[in-house]
Amino acid sequence: MSEFDIKKPVVALPDMDPEPQIPEEELFFTEEELERIAGFTEKYPTNRSAVMPALWLAQEKFGFLPPEVMKLVAEALDMPYAQVYGAATFYTQYYKKQMGTYVLDVCCSFSCQACGSYDVLDYLEEKLGIHAGETTEDGRFTIQEVECLGSCGTAPMLQVTNGPYVHNLTKEKLDELITDLRNDKMPPFTSVTLPQDEDEMGGNRRSDVEHTDTYRTPPAPERWI
Amino acid sequence: MEATNGQTKAGDWQNFERILLPPIRDLHTLDVYEAEYDGYQAIQKVLKEWEPGEVINEVKQANIRGRGGAAFNAGLKWSFMPPKGDRPRYLACNADESEPGTYKDRQLMEYNPHLMFEGILLANYAMEMDACYVYVRGEYADWITHMERELEKLYQKGYVGENIFGSDFSTDIILHKGAGAYICGEETSLMNSLEGKRGYPRIKPPFPAQKGLWDSPTTINNVETLAHVTLVMRHGADWFSAIGAPTHPGSTIYGISGHVNRPGAYEYPTGMLITDLIEKVCGGMRDGKKLKAVVPGGSSVPPLHVDMVDGVTMDADSLREAGSMMGTGGMLVLNEDTDMVTYLRRVNHFYQHESCGQCTPCREGTGWLEAIVTRIDEGEGNLRDLDLLIDLCDQMEGRTICAFADAAAWPVRYTIERFREDFEAKCKPAVFDTGGVTISA
Ligand SMILES: Cc1cc2nc3c(=O)[nH]c(=O)nc-3n(C[C@H](O)[C@H](O)[C@H](O)COP(=O)(O)O)c2cc1C
Ligand code: SF4
Ligand code: FES
Repeated sequence: MSEFDIKKPVVALPDMDPEPQIPEEELFFTEEELERIAGFTEKYPTNRSAVMPALWLAQEKFGFLPPEVMKLVAEALDMPYAQVYGAATFYTQYYKKQMGTYVLDVCCSFSCQACGSYDVLDYLEEKLGIHAGETTEDGRFTIQEVECLGSCGTAPMLQVTNGPYVHNLTKEKLDELITDLRNDKMPPFTSVTLPQDEDEMGGNRRSDVEHTDTYRTPPAPERWI
Repeated sequence: MEATNGQTKAGDWQNFERILLPPIRDLHTLDVYEAEYDGYQAIQKVLKEWEPGEVINEVKQANIRGRGGAAFNAGLKWSFMPPKGDRPRYLACNADESEPGTYKDRQLMEYNPHLMFEGILLANYAMEMDACYVYVRGEYADWITHMERELEKLYQKGYVGENIFGSDFSTDIILHKGAGAYICGEETSLMNSLEGKRGYPRIKPPFPAQKGLWDSPTTINNVETLAHVTLVMRHGADWFSAIGAPTHPGSTIYGISGHVNRPGAYEYPTGMLITDLIEKVCGGMRDGKKLKAVVPGGSSVPPLHVDMVDGVTMDADSLREAGSMMGTGGMLVLNEDTDMVTYLRRVNHFYQHESCGQCTPCREGTGWLEAIVTRIDEGEGNLRDLDLLIDLCDQMEGRTICAFADAAAWPVRYTIERFREDFEAKCKPAVFDTGGVTISA
């Protein structure tokens, strides 16, 4: 006799209808948000195409995308929940579970790896007392190991919650960043000056940014490896 | 000045004046772009004096080789578009830039976005497109905001939208924000993603020119390719094709990273000697260490051993001869201390993480490549694992829907072939388990 019982699958199936995590009274889009979503659909021939911008909007509002939020997006776009779920689960930047207030995405792809990104990750893990992929108990920080963020010339680097990049990381820079974030001070947008601009223009070409950094190899004592 | 002609196809590169990123303060704003860099002159001239077909021919003649990786002649690609029918037609500008080692398109989007926007308008006119979707990777949130601001100005001034510059040509530009998936850089995956589906690549044929976005004729080009289109239409095809390597002309942005003194994004003509880029442009290897390997164009291209680098120039033909590829021109430089096994392990992790999972050889293969190289890296591997890895590559290459599986297999195949000593040093010595029986020769 086979032990196999079709009612008891060997692999646990995901809970298709979990307890909602967003309180019901908060689970809605305002008129203004619905208008913005309607604005997205105008940019494309089909409603379905607006799912990515709508999910971005929802994530900004709710912080992450539990099933009830995906259902809300599906309603707003008049499309099946399954399609929204399919899109949301394909992309890494859509958070399917609750994250820390600040998500530190440390790039560990090969250029960053070659410049010490795993030391950066270790340092952060030790400093915050969590492993990559986890959130601190106070819900403030999540650390993640991510793939190339397109700033390999300023390796090692990280991104804070899908927003600003922090370049040329050193221990001092990380300490400062964590202190700032504990005080809810996000790092500013930073322009990275092109080496040729440094030579020909004496610095950054943009006069509308306050913070600049340069492509450089950190001086030896600061260097990870 | 040194006579570099003949030695490098880039000619007199020391005196090269940048064309994609010329040294003009605040060039990223519409006012400065118009006032100081002849902005939107080319499109106005073309709208008045050129037929769409003539623009395609000019671009074809300039031989702009696609800067997204495949180095295909942009004008030739444009000529595959069917004649205008009653279906809408679309351009997609590929700004997904997620190939490890690549950060050149971001420089253009930050410092000279209007060169790209003007190129898009020219392409849309040439191929009679109704709209262009610019697919920007989601991580570039700050740069998207910045481009949105500039695009808004273009709409206000009537440079984009209905009857642009007072002509009877109308076209739209729409910025689309991705959400973190390398595979969406693949052109058919990008189209599915834009349609709001999971970013799965599609089987070709049908090719995008026949059946692309929303089943309409579509062409996909990289950001830098489109920026070059503006320069070609401004100065002419002959001017453009006289720059850099004859078979891969123009300038390009070399994004150099790794163990050099001065990494960064440099604009120079194509066809630069790799050794010049490392020694003269980037100030040599840091700490005076020796060069071990160069990955010339992003993680997908085969790495070059130091012995293979001399005399190789950064253009499609020279690199193919040398046993690699131009890819995206994002060059990683590695020094003698680098362990190529650990390097490969991380590269494999990238592909394992980013495979979309549609094709079995790719979904399973990338996982096994990582697992086996990890085993070797941890000192648990056997020499025959190296053959197993090559065998796995054979099973993956050319057997999948998109070129991702090839891109995942090449680094494995060529890193093992070219740096075999690193792998052998980490494998357990070959012993024959004979079960205690002594075998005499
Ligand atoms: C797995 C994979 C990823 C790709 N990623 C990118 C990318 O991030 N950016 C890009 O411009 N092209 C990318 N490409 C190449 C595109 O498919 C396409 O060839 C290119 O955008 C065409 O533009 P071009 O002719 O102007 O180079 C990728 C291709 C593959 C197979
Ligand atoms: S080769 Fe890989 S990435 Fe490409 S479609 Fe197949 S599974 Fe997806
Ligand atoms: S490898 Fe880290 S940003 Fe590209």
